[in-house]
Amino acid sequence: MASVAELKEKHAAATASVNSLRERLRQRRETLLDTDVARYSKSQGRAPVSFNPTDLVCCRTLQGHSGKVYSLDWTPEKNWIVSASQDGRLIVWNALTSQKTHAIKLHCPWVMTCAFAPNGQSVACGGLDSACSIFNLNSQADRDGNMPVSRILTGHKGYVSSCQYVPDQETRLITSSGDQTCVLWDVTTGQRISIFGGEFPSGHTADVQSVSINSSNTNMFVSGSCDTTVRLWDIRIASRAVRTYHGHEGDVNSVKFFPDGHRFGTGSDDGTCRLFDMRTGHQLQVYSREPDRNDNELPTVTSIAFSISGRLLFAGYSNGDCYVWDTLLAEVVLNLGNLQNSHDGRISCLGMSSDGSALCTGSWDKNLKIWAFSGQRKIV
Amino acid sequence: MAAGASARDYSFAAEYDGPPLPYSLPRAIPLDLSRIPLAALSSSPPASPSASSSPLPVVRPLTPSSLCSAIHAHAHPAPRSAAPAPAAGGAVVDSPTSVIENHHAAAHHSAELPSSPSDDEGAGGGPEALPLKPRHHQPAVTFAETSGSLLQSSDDEDEYEEEEDEDADAGEARPRAAAGQSSGSLSPAHWRGGRTRGCYRCGKGGGFWGRDKESCLACGARYCVGCVLRAMGSMPEGRKCLECIGRPVAESRRGALGRGSRVLRRLLSAAEVELVMRSERECAANQLRAEDVYVNGTKLSPEELVVLQGCPCPPSRLRPGFYWYDKVSGFWGKEGHKPHCIITANLNVGGSLDQKASNGNTGILINGREITKSELQMLKLAGVQCAGKPHFWVNADGTYQEEGQKTVKGKIWDKPIVKLLSPVLSLPTPNKAANQSGEDAVNIVNRVIPDYLEQRTTQKLLLVGSGASTIIKQAKFLYKSGKPFSVDEREDLKLIIQSNIYNYLGILLEGRERFEEESLADRRKISPSDPSSSGCCESGVCDEVTEYSLIPRLKAFSDWILKAMALGNLEDIFPAASREYAPLVEELWKDPAIQATYRRRSELPFLPPTANYFLDKAVDISRAEYELSDMDILYADGITSSDGYQLIRINSRGLHENCKWLQMFDDVRLVIFCVAASDYDEYYEDANGTIVNKMVESRQLFESIVLHPTFEQMDFLLLLTKSDLLEQKINDSPLTSCDWFDDFTPLISRNLLSSSSKSTRSSTGATLPQMAAHYMATKFKRLFQLLTDRKLYVSYVNTLDQESVRLAIHYGREIVKWEEEKPVFGASETVYSEEPSSFTH
Repeated sequence: MASVAELKEKHAAATASVNSLRERLRQRRETLLDTDVARYSKSQGRAPVSFNPTDLVCCRTLQGHSGKVYSLDWTPEKNWIVSASQDGRLIVWNALTSQKTHAIKLHCPWVMTCAFAPNGQSVACGGLDSACSIFNLNSQADRDGNMPVSRILTGHKGYVSSCQYVPDQETRLITSSGDQTCVLWDVTTGQRISIFGGEFPSGHTADVQSVSINSSNTNMFVSGSCDTTVRLWDIRIASRAVRTYHGHEGDVNSVKFFPDGHRFGTGSDDGTCRLFDMRTGHQLQVYSREPDRNDNELPTVTSIAFSISGRLLFAGYSNGDCYVWDTLLAEVVLNLGNLQNSHDGRISCLGMSSDGSALCTGSWDKNLKIWAFSGQRKIV
Repeated sequence: MAAGASARDYSFAAEYDGPPLPYSLPRAIPLDLSRIPLAALSSSPPASPSASSSPLPVVRPLTPSSLCSAIHAHAHPAPRSAAPAPAAGGAVVDSPTSVIENHHAAAHHSAELPSSPSDDEGAGGGPEALPLKPRHHQPAVTFAETSGSLLQSSDDEDEYEEEEDEDADAGEARPRAAAGQSSGSLSPAHWRGGRTRGCYRCGKGGGFWGRDKESCLACGARYCVGCVLRAMGSMPEGRKCLECIGRPVAESRRGALGRGSRVLRRLLSAAEVELVMRSERECAANQLRAEDVYVNGTKLSPEELVVLQGCPCPPSRLRPGFYWYDKVSGFWGKEGHKPHCIITANLNVGGSLDQKASNGNTGILINGREITKSELQMLKLAGVQCAGKPHFWVNADGTYQEEGQKTVKGKIWDKPIVKLLSPVLSLPTPNKAANQSGEDAVNIVNRVIPDYLEQRTTQKLLLVGSGASTIIKQAKFLYKSGKPFSVDEREDLKLIIQSNIYNYLGILLEGRERFEEESLADRRKISPSDPSSSGCCESGVCDEVTEYSLIPRLKAFSDWILKAMALGNLEDIFPAASREYAPLVEELWKDPAIQATYRRRSELPFLPPTANYFLDKAVDISRAEYELSDMDILYADGITSSDGYQLIRINSRGLHENCKWLQMFDDVRLVIFCVAASDYDEYYEDANGTIVNKMVESRQLFESIVLHPTFEQMDFLLLLTKSDLLEQKINDSPLTSCDWFDDFTPLISRNLLSSSSKSTRSSTGATLPQMAAHYMATKFKRLFQLLTDRKLYVSYVNTLDQESVRLAIHYGREIVKWEEEKPVFGASETVYSEEPSSFTH
């Protein structure tokens, strides 16, 4: 008994020292970080991207869901989009004709995320059923037009908040979950290859909301969590997080790798987006909107996406705004929420097509919209 | 005027009867502005059409730009007016990749028509074609005039009527339905089809009788191959143009619902067409509208329509209009006409049958309806005595009796001649399935709910808290007649129960170890000098060591179970291995050490109360061939599976944080929060290893859910469950053992004073559980009042008692109804039970 008390004491002391060290680290970072991206580029005389309201237009509205759209994903090659909605359906769209190619009724309607396999032959989805279901798009629908589940990945002890296939590997999938872990799955066997977090002390301490896999080094991925941190993981080392990024003051809802694979962006409940350097761990830039005049609560960032060059950061907000940030100068160049034809509800998900030619937004107003650039591009 | 126009149209079409053109013809656009009667309106430049497009339907056939901008509702200030010229000529159509550019192209093309003559029509066309154009398009201009003006008026009305339609539906529906009745079809006010063969978007391509066009189901507008996709978008309700989404389909086109078209098949892949057709058939907006159907003079409610359409023998080809329905015999017909068919009897739809419903003049009544002459003939043929204008009662099976008499006089359908002659007199004969009673029919309807209706009437009740899983299971039994649990579900539940058994055993084994140590220690304390274990004691405290110790073989097994539990992979190992270990489990369970431990189960806080039920049957359950009984299902504690329960556990961990997934439920109507009344003296260990009182934990969960922004204005129903357990234990374990209830003083409770004057606590003790439950409810009510300033609904339920669950759910629905004050929650028994069932997977 005495030993337990002793241990507890030791534990408390250790926690305190960890916290103090962390604080010192933060201070040190602050002193080292004498500038941010915006200030530096301004000092370099970079001009902001200029956008006319007509330069980005909604060229397709994908109607057909009867519930809030929660998630979407593009195929890497074909112009197909899969979307998941609270009506309990996954719909695969042909973005060019805006027609549905598949409508998959789900066993559990509380779906939160969906993803396209790299080969475009199957889709994955997950939600409150704490499982990730894989559907093969080539499989035959049954009499009622329902698509059979080709595999169910079970093992999470909480809801599946996000899933992404490892690029170029049809059989590997990473999910994040409300049980504070991320899991790398082998889709063919349905087995967990590794579990990131959970029992290990360097794991997330709250629900993991989002994952993003580095496209230039597919062994690395980041996860954003309700513990306000983002963690970097190496697929080969499940035992600990490679790095933890602090900075946000609210749940991190969305993480997305910068196209160059050395940085990543985050969107959070604190209403800001941030850009982190993966290797140094520094926070490069904060993209925060001005509080409005009525001093309402800041709308939270629900989802983010980078343009293919990385110059633009698209951020969807809970109030229906969708800002286009100039990543260099940290200025809002356009708000898709104010354009004609914009969504009526909260923008819940964003996705950039793989060739960068179009942005797809999904909203709680049950629609998806595809936005494309229509103006003259001025290279700055 | 119309006739003239159509004649000209025909000649116009005759000149173009060549092969169908897959591309649009920019030069076909007549741009003679001076000839357009509405010159003032159309004079606005088509290049900046955003302002003029909506009030100017007259321009529609002329300038695609106006339409494309109307559809895209986007002003293009034409920054690229010079650019599109080279590409635009041929590639106006069918390159969906760059639709926007194409819009520009089309727009500018037509706007700058003179400057950019198209070479579409072939190389030879050049000079000759030019003089031809005016002549060719002369008729087109007039057609544009007529259809333009028509369009304008109808379009304006259209906007207008749409709104009026919603507001004054009740007043308007009758005359409209009357119109529908007379004509047999109901054309919506926005119908604009049938006037022209040109594409409504690009104005091109007369085609041959509208061939290679797709028309909108609601307004009849026709679009050519190139424009269909742009005009109809993603077709969420099938082939309707974007403006028509949400409008009902034209009755004349109802037959075409879900019938594929060549045009679509040319444009889209088979799978895509299939999906479009499916949504066309199934989406709610395309269904027959209940308010257009009158039965016995009463407008149908959506639920009644479903009953009608879902019965085993529904009226064929139901269309908007007035019908009469004889509930007793199942006769069905149009108002003022003889029976048309015989449908399922005893359906509860529409009002009561009028004597004049079929406009008969024979003076003979069947079920209170005066029959028509042909019916009378039929009766005579059937040998029914019709002298003296008798009044008959005819039942669904064809038996008939005279009014006021008991004896059944015979069966109408017995004579073969009746069936033979019925078609001659165009009278219906009963269908074989018609004899089912309406009760059955209603049940069938309840089982199969059409997709579209499900979405319309679903009222979501969110079930949260402990015991919720049992309620869901009960609801399945209650409302899913037939097979409440599928084979798969049963298999899953079986696995859960089996792995739970190992869990319970593990808990017992843990307890056993503890008790063994304790008793060892006690024994040493009491008699340190006596190491031998010879005597056996009477009381549990000073037990012999042997009472809790196991034989080595079982010890090994127990160690293994404990190890697996510590590693947390118990669930993974055991269900699979249950066949092998069944005998061991049996042996273990029968071992006196375990039984001794089991007797002290009240000291094991982690052993759930339901464990008793299963442990008693442990031997059966652990066998592989074990089959669940319904009671087993109800007792099965969803420790591992039931999301309704487990999700809440997650939530309670991230207590005051913004629980993300709760946002999904912002459309629920009522939150049913379950609290086990027996929780007050139970504890559970949270992630940090601290012991938390379950009731306190429930309260925290309750607070966090009530305060969650998603549920700000939501109604809450508190269900106090497990009252049976409360009754069992309240006398042994005082309610005050929970900190929150420390001011429970039953003797001065008002409840006692008012309700139980005859029974005092000491004499019967029966009211103590009631008082306790009442007290808990009051506690929660006060808390809710404090948090939200609103009223908390409370109900008590014993989840193992089906009736009590039914009442509780009924109460929940009543609450929703009160709040709604609209009768939308009618046929929703199954709709409801659909809902929670989705939780359990």
